[in-house]
Amino acid sequence: MHVAWLYLGPFLQGTGVTLELTIVSTVVALVAGILGALGMIHGGKILRAVLVVYVELVRGLPPILQLFIIFFGLTQFGVQLDAFSAALIWLMVYGAGYAIEVFRAGIQDVSEGQWEAARSVGMGYFTTLRKIILPQAFALMMPELTNFTVLQLKNTTFVFFIGVADIMYQAQQGAASTEQPQVMFVMAALFYLVLNGGISRVAALVERRLTAYR
Amino acid sequence: MSKDVVVDIQGLTKSFGDRKIFRDVTLQVHQSEVVAIIGPSGVGKSTLIRCVNYLHPFDQGTIRLLGHELRGGERPSAAVLQDIRTHVGMVFQTFNLFHHLSVLDNIVLGPVEVKKVPRKQAVERAHELLEMMGLTDWAKAYPRRLSGGQQQRVAICRALAMDPKVMLFDEPTSMLDPELVGDVLEAIQRLAQQGMTMILVTHEMMFAKEVADTVVIMADNAIAEMGPAKQVLENPQTERARNFLARVLRNTPPADIPQAVVGGDPD
Repeated sequence: MHVAWLYLGPFLQGTGVTLELTIVSTVVALVAGILGALGMIHGGKILRAVLVVYVELVRGLPPILQLFIIFFGLTQFGVQLDAFSAALIWLMVYGAGYAIEVFRAGIQDVSEGQWEAARSVGMGYFTTLRKIILPQAFALMMPELTNFTVLQLKNTTFVFFIGVADIMYQAQQGAASTEQPQVMFVMAALFYLVLNGGISRVAALVERRLTAYR
Repeated sequence: MSKDVVVDIQGLTKSFGDRKIFRDVTLQVHQSEVVAIIGPSGVGKSTLIRCVNYLHPFDQGTIRLLGHELRGGERPSAAVLQDIRTHVGMVFQTFNLFHHLSVLDNIVLGPVEVKKVPRKQAVERAHELLEMMGLTDWAKAYPRRLSGGQQQRVAICRALAMDPKVMLFDEPTSMLDPELVGDVLEAIQRLAQQGMTMILVTHEMMFAKEVADTVVIMADNAIAEMGPAKQVLENPQTERARNFLARVLRNTPPADIPQAVVGGDPD
């Protein structure tokens, strides 16, 4: 199995790229998701319409097409992105579209009575959100959020199509140059399973804490 | 408006879309007065008291309280709303405790976040209130571990922690098992004896008679009759009030009439 050892370095480098893409894009997508969901629920007509169109675009277009539009398509308009930036921007845009819907459902699952009770002691909108609604929404949404993060990590593999050196890219390189593609792909599979296993484990711990009150 | 009128409701009218909820409701609540609002379901009793702290907007009329005036069709400023809600306590039919916070934090959160009371002081006050309600041992528990009656008493503590000038009770016992009603009513009665000004929507006729100074009967989306509790309940003058009371009393077997003052813990 010396081939595997030989490629451990590149795979670890790829892991760094995959993790950076996943973590940064997930954090941005979650923040954008909360804001977008609040716009959907409490925003005006125009804002809601814009958000609906956005979500439909993200959900409706194939991931690879979205990525190509950002990386190749934008050059038409003089926007020349390097592959990593294009990859990161696409993952943020894509993740945010899905996160908006996750948070919209989660926030609406918290009963209206919680808002009313918070208002009745004089709490304003943002205090109510921060102290009452979001903590309960997160507890309700943990299964979806775990799923979301795992999917976000798996979606990073698309970036190999524009030449970003993630785990998938390293596996493909190894497969092409060692004539042992099966070893490379099994290695890639193990790397992804370990990373996603880690996400599930951490998420389970967070979920246990968040739902202690139930 | 005479000096001891705390809440002055004039000509209040409200609809949800095409549906009229109530029209032309005029009602004054004086310092330390207990007003009970009774009447059939769906006549807008709950909606009426929710207008007092502006959980619901209304279409026409005015509500004057705490030096503010709320006018139909006009959204009050955030500062006015906060001032009113800080000084008007509300207890809900479904308790609405914050599920993710301990009993203690449910009570402490309002004073700390809204009134900027130092946490230590708010905690001390919360323990006093819990003791008063016989819930000393439950401070650290999450609300869902408590019985309905206990949860409702925590909700009363949460409202009282803000040192309200007026308390609103929206059918506080109608979600409770019969054997848990007594403790909650007892807590409300104690507040009345301490001079709290209260507006109470209730189906507990005997309790209204015993505790309220004034009873308001709503029917057909308006006030059918109001006056001193005993007079209205025992000798109603209007036909709508008589009809309602006749129906209620026929449907209430003696065993179900709650005894207002029953000691002991529901558990």
